[in-house]
Amino acid sequence: MPLSDPRQSSAFRFVRADYAEGEARLVYAFDHGPELVERIVFPDAPELPLERRQAFAQALKLLHLIAGVSYYKAGVPAQILVENGPLDATTAQLLQALYLHGLGEFAYQNKLDLREHIHFPHAGLHEPVPALGLPARSLVPIGGGKDSLVTVELLKQAGESATAAWVGNSPLIAACVVQTGLPGLNISRQLAPELFEYNKAGAWNGHIPVTAINSAILAVAAVLYGYDSIVFSNERSASSATLEYAGFAVNHQWSKGWEFEQSLAAWLRSHVAADLNYCSLLRPLSELAVTRLFARESRYDGVFSSCNRNFRILGPRPADRWCGQCPKCHFVFLALAPFLPKPRLLGIFGRNLLDDESQMQGFDALMEFREHKPFECVGEGRESRAAMFALSQRPEWREDAVVARFVATVLPQLERAELALEPLLQPSAVHGLPPRLGAIADAFR
Amino acid sequence: MNSLETAPGAHAGWIVVKFGGTSVSTRPRWDTICRIARDWHAQGKRVLIVVSALSGITDKLKTIAEARGDRDKREAVRAEILDRHEAMFAELGLSDRATLQYWLDRLTALSQDSRAENAELPWQAEVLALGEQLSSTLGVAYLNTLGLPAHWLDARRHLLAQALPNQTAWGTYLSASVPTAPDLALAAKLAGEGEVFISQGFMARNAGGETVILGRGGSDTSAAYFGALLKAEKVEIWTDVAGMFSANPRIVPSARLLSRLDYEEAQEIATTGAKVLHPRCLNPVREAQVPLVVRDTNRPELAGTEIGASILAAAPSVKAVSERRGITLISMESIGMWQQVGFLADVFARFKHHGLSIDLISSAETNVTVSLDPSENLVNSDVLSALAADLAEVCRVKVIAPCTAVTLVGRGMRSLLPRLASVLAEFDLLRVHLVSQSSNNLNLTIVVDEAAADGLVPTLHAALIKAEALRAEDPAVFGPAWSELYADRLAPPAPPWWRQRREELLQLAQQQGPCYVYDLASVRARARALRGLLAPDRWFYALKANSHDEVLRCIAAEGLGLECVSLAELERAAQFVDSSRLLFTPNFAPRDEYAAAFARGARVTLDNLHPLQHWGETFRGRDIILRVDLGSGRGHHDKVRTGGAGSKFGLSLDQLDEFHALARGLDLAVVGLHAHLGSGILDAGHWREVYAQLAALAQRFGRIEAINIGGGLGVPARPGDAPLDLAALDAFLCEIKTAYPQFQLWLEPGRYLVAEAGVLLARVTQTKRKGEYRYVGVDTGMNSLIRPALYEAWHEIVNLSRCDEPATTLYQVVGPICESGDVLGTNRRLPACQDGDVLLIAQAGAYGATMASHYNLRAPATECVV
Repeated sequence: MPLSDPRQSSAFRFVRADYAEGEARLVYAFDHGPELVERIVFPDAPELPLERRQAFAQALKLLHLIAGVSYYKAGVPAQILVENGPLDATTAQLLQALYLHGLGEFAYQNKLDLREHIHFPHAGLHEPVPALGLPARSLVPIGGGKDSLVTVELLKQAGESATAAWVGNSPLIAACVVQTGLPGLNISRQLAPELFEYNKAGAWNGHIPVTAINSAILAVAAVLYGYDSIVFSNERSASSATLEYAGFAVNHQWSKGWEFEQSLAAWLRSHVAADLNYCSLLRPLSELAVTRLFARESRYDGVFSSCNRNFRILGPRPADRWCGQCPKCHFVFLALAPFLPKPRLLGIFGRNLLDDESQMQGFDALMEFREHKPFECVGEGRESRAAMFALSQRPEWREDAVVARFVATVLPQLERAELALEPLLQPSAVHGLPPRLGAIADAFR
Repeated sequence: MNSLETAPGAHAGWIVVKFGGTSVSTRPRWDTICRIARDWHAQGKRVLIVVSALSGITDKLKTIAEARGDRDKREAVRAEILDRHEAMFAELGLSDRATLQYWLDRLTALSQDSRAENAELPWQAEVLALGEQLSSTLGVAYLNTLGLPAHWLDARRHLLAQALPNQTAWGTYLSASVPTAPDLALAAKLAGEGEVFISQGFMARNAGGETVILGRGGSDTSAAYFGALLKAEKVEIWTDVAGMFSANPRIVPSARLLSRLDYEEAQEIATTGAKVLHPRCLNPVREAQVPLVVRDTNRPELAGTEIGASILAAAPSVKAVSERRGITLISMESIGMWQQVGFLADVFARFKHHGLSIDLISSAETNVTVSLDPSENLVNSDVLSALAADLAEVCRVKVIAPCTAVTLVGRGMRSLLPRLASVLAEFDLLRVHLVSQSSNNLNLTIVVDEAAADGLVPTLHAALIKAEALRAEDPAVFGPAWSELYADRLAPPAPPWWRQRREELLQLAQQQGPCYVYDLASVRARARALRGLLAPDRWFYALKANSHDEVLRCIAAEGLGLECVSLAELERAAQFVDSSRLLFTPNFAPRDEYAAAFARGARVTLDNLHPLQHWGETFRGRDIILRVDLGSGRGHHDKVRTGGAGSKFGLSLDQLDEFHALARGLDLAVVGLHAHLGSGILDAGHWREVYAQLAALAQRFGRIEAINIGGGLGVPARPGDAPLDLAALDAFLCEIKTAYPQFQLWLEPGRYLVAEAGVLLARVTQTKRKGEYRYVGVDTGMNSLIRPALYEAWHEIVNLSRCDEPATTLYQVVGPICESGDVLGTNRRLPACQDGDVLLIAQAGAYGATMASHYNLRAPATECVV
């Protein structure tokens, strides 16, 4: 029987979450519609030690609440029901913020005001939990792009014991993991098939805060396998808003931002284990500082990709990994260009995006010139402008179509003093790293 | 001379045979070496065997040579090398290990040498030389146990390297050259020492007596040096492929073996891309006029490629097409005055200063553009940046990269230009940056964007054969196709169905006149093969290929849907399948056809904004499939004719947002995405590409259920064309499907299902002779089968009445239509044809009868099924 349009439903229900033999089952429903079951499989899951059971239950509960965003957004009903008991105030606050900001772009694209809809019921407060004595080692999520590979190299240099973790079955990410030389942990995730049926019935669709979901999955994994740190690779620029809409800042990568990192880290310490760290190694750095670090190591040139259009597929040719048309391709190309020998960069992409007139508009958007910054995880406008300016000073780049046009048209409208690369490469002191990893960040400065 | 004449066995000539790493790494391979050497020896020749190091050993030695302070790494790799040779020693069943131990001890001493810390060049050379010293030592011992007395010959004793002007210290030790000229005294002296020798590739000595290394391609070069020194009768390079081919066989399986090349052509082919032989090894043998042969160790029965002085009286022909990737072009625009004196000198001095060697040059009054081959240096250092900064002092610099240089090689290239018209047409829509015709008249090179170069070489190779610019049929130059030599893993193609039904077909032709005959069993077999693939969810047969009722009934019975492009096709299809299996994919159809298709319940594909802009009510609230044109962004699709702005099919990707907006306004749901790549594609990788692109695109839509990647599944026409590998296709599709399980996968093949199932039978009317041309005419032509005229399609033609007679006459097979293009086949070797003979034109089941006409008021061939 075809499913009814979830937009007509009146409540979204968090039904239950359970775990057995390496598989977590997260159950949701719209009104009294069919149960939507998401399955997450943790490979070779060990028997859970008794002392970690409470922590595990908390992490699983959070995963249930966070992963619900994929389903909730299909209908955005007016009521949210959490069936296995009310949330404490801190938890409700975390979710309130995540659903509101993490779905900000979704709301903007669908012309919705979520402030009227998102209310997580809560009652009471939570007692902080003790430390669990988790082993001192790190789970490093790998996304296939440059950032996590920079983190891996930094951790390796620092002698940190680390495991490369990824969710889903991307062959490209798997190939990157092989290149890291680290042990790998591949967690699989299967959405409830009914979600596709709901899509056919007219469900709302759009961007969701996937980094938050992956973070919650890794929190469960950290307790299950025994890691005291989850080390993401989000940088400083992830915190800046893409645009303002109806008096509300919309940030495409909100769940990669500093605010979310801090609140999730605090929640994990108070609700799961006082010694569980959730942090981002690249937080003090700008995108440009990260690309400069990436340039040091060429082992990933032939396997990595930051492109969101082609990223699921691994092919031998650059065009299989980089579509060459999307904001991510534009930005990564531009941000790497000042730091890589030109032939190496062109070898990675298989073509020269900066010598292609049809790509002008894409680069304009990155520089926030006549366009707003794209809804993608790309650096700040001033970083793009500084990178472009640096190229315009380099004879091997300055005759390329996009760079030459920047010199002729864009540059005269810019303040030269704001175009220097060096200040943008300076790290900030802001990060949430545990002492063991703090030294790596200190070395940036 | 005297000594030579008086030496025992003085008249025995020398043969130099060279074996690479894989050929010296197992005992059976050494048995092969022994057999080859013994054969020559039995023919009264003296044999010098030149060997490489065991597979992988040179890389390990390189690791030691470059490890510098990393003592642990050196020690670990040293242990690996030791183990490998101990294992080889055991495998060969040798007992006396004294000599081997000498070299292993030397390895230990060198890896602990204090010079390792600074990676001193003379030390590095000594380290790198060990691989061949070890392998030749093992070889000598083994051949002697087999009863072939072989002598160990120290290559450094005879090859004296000479430093080149401007050579770096690195070059003098690790990329040395040896000037060689025949030295008959040496030949005589060696003849006095024995009859079979084993020496080391890759090394020589310098004037100071130190060991030096020859650099890349070193062992082949060593063999060439020895061949020249000894004025050998022949140098044989034994490798794992039968020789040089007319293109890289990995990308062009139909590439032909080159049986015979002159030195210059071989040099050119090796320089422009062929990997089988290093270009450095040709000069020594050319100077000494020693023939060099490339042969396959696994297939000694093949004669290989023989390289020698130019062939007498061969017609000019393109010999090979090759490509080099990763080319960087530097375009320099003079900023000084017109005819600025010394501009080129200024520019070139800067390249020299940065140690960059220029390959191609093209110049104009105020511009010069040069190419740089890819090098480690260029990719991993700032040399290009520094060069550009220096050049900017005297000109405006533009760096154009990455480029691919495609080169046609053949002696007398300029005289071949008229034949290249249709070949050069393949560059249509590609960005050509530079064209260079070499001053020695051996090559024509065209430099294009690398992103656009995929698939170019196979296309050019086919076009060269079609244009007879590459005279593949000339046995003096060309041997068999690579796929014929090496594709024996694949089952030999089954004989076509019509061979077994010859009598029946002859009878039909006599009764019916010109007719198409379709074999339904073949159609069924093809349909089942496709349905057996795992990845596709649904198949739609494109009935424009063949819409005969019995064919449609048969395909419908196999469970395929039908893909229609007109209302009339839709109406015919509806007689055989229900509406859930109807797919309507028209192009520029009138409004009422869409309305009729919706009324019939067919799935409808749109590929334009116009219907939504102007006929919105027809589409309101409907589900549709959107056909897009992926061509514009991806160069290698441009040349397939259904992509790019020059093609009338598909919605341009830059109109997607507008389409979305229109669709939203009409409450229209886009439930499928479709693109069609082109036709006759035999490379399974193409569909992977279009599938991946469509699936990535589909994520931008909310309600996509199916991805239709079109058809174009090729059917091999010529002998030597490898058939489409369905298993490989399925594997590619499954890979993408795993990444995007939420979308159904649809395909819509046409020709693939029916081409081979159909033949056209025609009777000979007249024969004619005009000059050197022989014509055979038949009673139907382009009015029945227009593909040869329209697409230059190649169909096999046989004289069915005389199948068993030898094919003696070269015919142009023509029809009766008053049109000079009414040719069914050119240059076909057939038995002498007689009035009334039945000719069979094969693979005519697709786009034959459906494209037939009554031109000249001649009724086209009738159709029947068997």
